[in-house]
Amino acid sequence: MATIPGPAPRFRSARRAKTAVVAALCVALAGALTGLGPSTAGASSHREAPLVAMDPAIDNTDLYAFVSPERPGYLTFIANWIPFEEPNGGPNFYPFATDAAYNINVDNDGDAKADATFRWTFQNVDKRGGSTFLYNNGPVTSLDDENLLFRQTYKLESKFDGEPFKTRVTGGPVAPSRIGNASMPEYAKLRQQATTTLPGGWKVFAGQADDPFFLDLRVFDLLYGGDLSETGQDTLAGYNVNSIALQVPFSDVALKGDPKRNPVVGVWTTTDRARVRMSGKAGDAPEGRDRVQVSRLGNPLVNEVVLPANLKDAFNSLPPEKDATIPAVVKRVTDPELPKLIEGIYGVPAPATPRNDLVEIFLTGITTRTPNGPIKVDLNSQLNNRDVTASRFQPSEMLRLNLSTPVTKTPDRLGVLAGDLQGFPNGRRLTDDAVDIAIQAVEGAAQTGKLVDALAAGDKVDANDNGFTGSFPYLALPNVGAVNKGGGTGAGATTDDQPDASAQPEPSMTPAGLAGLATRDDGDPMPVMVAKTTAWGLVGIAAALGTLILVGLLRQRRRPTAAEPTQPL
Amino acid sequence: MRRLPRIRLRSLAILGLATVLLLGIGGVLGLRSSAPATGEVVPQVDRLAATIDRAQEQLRRVPGDHGSWATLGLAYLEQARVTADPTFFARADGALRQSLAVRADDNSAAMAGLGALANARHDFTGAADWARKALRSNPYSAEAYAVLADAETQLGHPDAATRAVQDLLDLRPGLSALTRASYDHEQHGRTAEATGLMRQALAAAFDPAEVAFCRYQLGELAWHSGDLAGAEREYTATGSGYPPLIQGRAKVAAARGRQGEALAGYAELTSRSPTPGYLLEYAELLMAAGRGAEAEAQLALAAATHRLFTDNGGADDLAGAAIALARSQPAEALALARREWQRRQFAEVADMLGWALHANGKYADALGYARRAEALGAHNAKYAYHLGMIELALGDRDAARRDLARALHINPYFSPLDAPAAARTLAGLGTP
Repeated sequence: MATIPGPAPRFRSARRAKTAVVAALCVALAGALTGLGPSTAGASSHREAPLVAMDPAIDNTDLYAFVSPERPGYLTFIANWIPFEEPNGGPNFYPFATDAAYNINVDNDGDAKADATFRWTFQNVDKRGGSTFLYNNGPVTSLDDENLLFRQTYKLESKFDGEPFKTRVTGGPVAPSRIGNASMPEYAKLRQQATTTLPGGWKVFAGQADDPFFLDLRVFDLLYGGDLSETGQDTLAGYNVNSIALQVPFSDVALKGDPKRNPVVGVWTTTDRARVRMSGKAGDAPEGRDRVQVSRLGNPLVNEVVLPANLKDAFNSLPPEKDATIPAVVKRVTDPELPKLIEGIYGVPAPATPRNDLVEIFLTGITTRTPNGPIKVDLNSQLNNRDVTASRFQPSEMLRLNLSTPVTKTPDRLGVLAGDLQGFPNGRRLTDDAVDIAIQAVEGAAQTGKLVDALAAGDKVDANDNGFTGSFPYLALPNVGAVNKGGGTGAGATTDDQPDASAQPEPSMTPAGLAGLATRDDGDPMPVMVAKTTAWGLVGIAAALGTLILVGLLRQRRRPTAAEPTQPL
Repeated sequence: MRRLPRIRLRSLAILGLATVLLLGIGGVLGLRSSAPATGEVVPQVDRLAATIDRAQEQLRRVPGDHGSWATLGLAYLEQARVTADPTFFARADGALRQSLAVRADDNSAAMAGLGALANARHDFTGAADWARKALRSNPYSAEAYAVLADAETQLGHPDAATRAVQDLLDLRPGLSALTRASYDHEQHGRTAEATGLMRQALAAAFDPAEVAFCRYQLGELAWHSGDLAGAEREYTATGSGYPPLIQGRAKVAAARGRQGEALAGYAELTSRSPTPGYLLEYAELLMAAGRGAEAEAQLALAAATHRLFTDNGGADDLAGAAIALARSQPAEALALARREWQRRQFAEVADMLGWALHANGKYADALGYARRAEALGAHNAKYAYHLGMIELALGDRDAARRDLARALHINPYFSPLDAPAAARTLAGLGTP
């Protein structure tokens, strides 16, 4: 047998280095690097997969639910995903995830389980063929324009009262990301073509829009010892989001199909993905456990607020029916951090704990029908639906809306606190100023009735940079151009027959103003409204709501949080 | 300076070169990938950079914002991974520790971040500890499960690793979970499942850097199966300058006989990311091209880079052993491999220890470790080659013939030096 070559030594010993000058330089450099602490420069590679996935496509950012102002008897949901979409800087197309399901859920009997679910799934139609990365090949004048090389469609399914999902539409057109005026000279037309009317009177829209949320994020600096001296700029001005909007008759979502007897619904959005089993056997997940909820949102800001970063992950994973079973969640509600911070900074005494008023707002809806609820108002708890079985009621976080509240002709951005009972937290309209509601509530509330001067102006952002439209889907068109231009971006709606809320006179926040408000609901046709609301009731709402919202408000929601598992912007 | 006399001038020169490379080039070259050529739909926005900018701005204003410190630290870690710029690790360390300094409790993000940093430094035990600490604070932390999965994998605890991966999948079946699930399958030899999940991960990618990662791993799965065309397709599917993709393209060029292109690729790669692994591969390629002197220089650079790591408190005797073997220092290689095996019983370490034992003539001992490397069922041509050569040294020609053939069957291109050696040896063995 011939000798078999083994793995012979491959390399001779290295040569000597040349000059001491080089060496001296090296010592200096090595010393400099040593100063940095242990570096991984010399580590041989092991598998290092992305830790914090950029997963904004599944990130629920906002939910709106309101009675359609121009279409009586119809409820509109608007849900947003993918915050901070930058319109500028290249051909940016922000697709919905094709491996996720986007859900709007409605609970009408208060058991914290969905009685109605609307589910969107998205598909890509990619005609680029690998020859180009561009999304269009010339001006796009319609959704089926040949120049539009990449687009998405959706399937909408719905499920009621535990029955299986039924498909409502397939191949629904998604309004594309607005790539620019040259590529999409008449974007309003594309928006219109992506707005679909379905049998049953449903209207559906999915696609890009101006982010309707408006606030100055710096307001939350106070949570970390900052102040409010530098506010007044809409941090979200100029950014777009991906929106899903749906309009359905009250009767489709009300308990027993009867919005007269049962006008209150609770709403939340979720995103889920298919469950993956390492066992490799498809379908071995238990029935109904084949999906994993990865994001959830009900009330604005609450997701991130009441729940600090450490509880946020749990919240995003949990169904509402589990909310009240997590002691840490309940503790954050009954013993919130923010009033103490405010007390420390502004000397406003924190309300006594436990905060059962917050439990009412956060977990049950505002009602007189819970044993400990201090807010003696029947506004928006499912417990006030006449056909609800109270024993099955399960406290849970969701955006609750009383469908019977009459549409306000001139919505007040401060909503319920300013006597506009149709506004947040009774559902949420696009023009509701969630942040200032919170801040004004703290001002007027906190039992002294004394304003906190430093908070008086709130975040100084009172309205969205772009106007909303008067008809479905109400959202302003997507922005084009650089984000930091400031103010409106010219992307606004073509029509705006809804009065600009910010143009309304500032509501008085004096006790007299509150007192005046207190008589406002006399004769209110809502069956569940108490005949008379006391000023103290409203103060209670104000205190509770303000505290609720400000607790760590939104600091994960809107900050670019690569580190946040659910906000991996 | 006390240890200075022990460092020879040669080392210092190379250390200096390495330092310049590490500090200079890495810092200058960020990963600004070009547009994807096909398939992907990802916004051409560097969200990682935007995240860092915003967190920095926020922290300038509100230095007490522990959440933003953690965000910043984790973003730096991602940046380090993506750009191969080691200076980001020091920054990550600072930001994460600042986050914990502001808020020591209920700060799972910072804890998981420090765990990820420990993983990057090959302190896998420390990483697992941080991950468990984070999970005690927040049982729903996907990051913590990801860190734990990585650590358990590298520690050679495959069952614990799979459990952590499943926990991660059950919590958040997105890209970070899918890529880890894919790797878990791959280590068990389930290549089809691994590929399927990596494709799923690619579909979930939202960022060019994530696309680059998934493409590279898909390329690797094809490469390790000997599917040269498939590997090349993945490595070139995006124009990204992600360093591993440069390695993939260079490997394919070498396998296809395009030696100049391959060497140029490795030259670029090692200037961007001068890690021992890449430098060793470069040296191998130079050696195969008959350019021994240049190969030696790269080996010396690998050794210097490695020393830089260990002098700074890092512990990676796997790399040290590989360097020592390449430099014909079998005794040192064996000592290092044994020491790494004491730390962790991972397949790669078993393979290295077996090979180092072989280099020291301890064939009987070597066999057990070489088999151990394949215990989970991984399809790895290098493991099979090492096993075959050990079996041959023990005189088991049938087994050697089988395993050398298996190595070449798995991936005939697995090494520019070892694959031809396997083929020669196999030919010399003749037919049974």
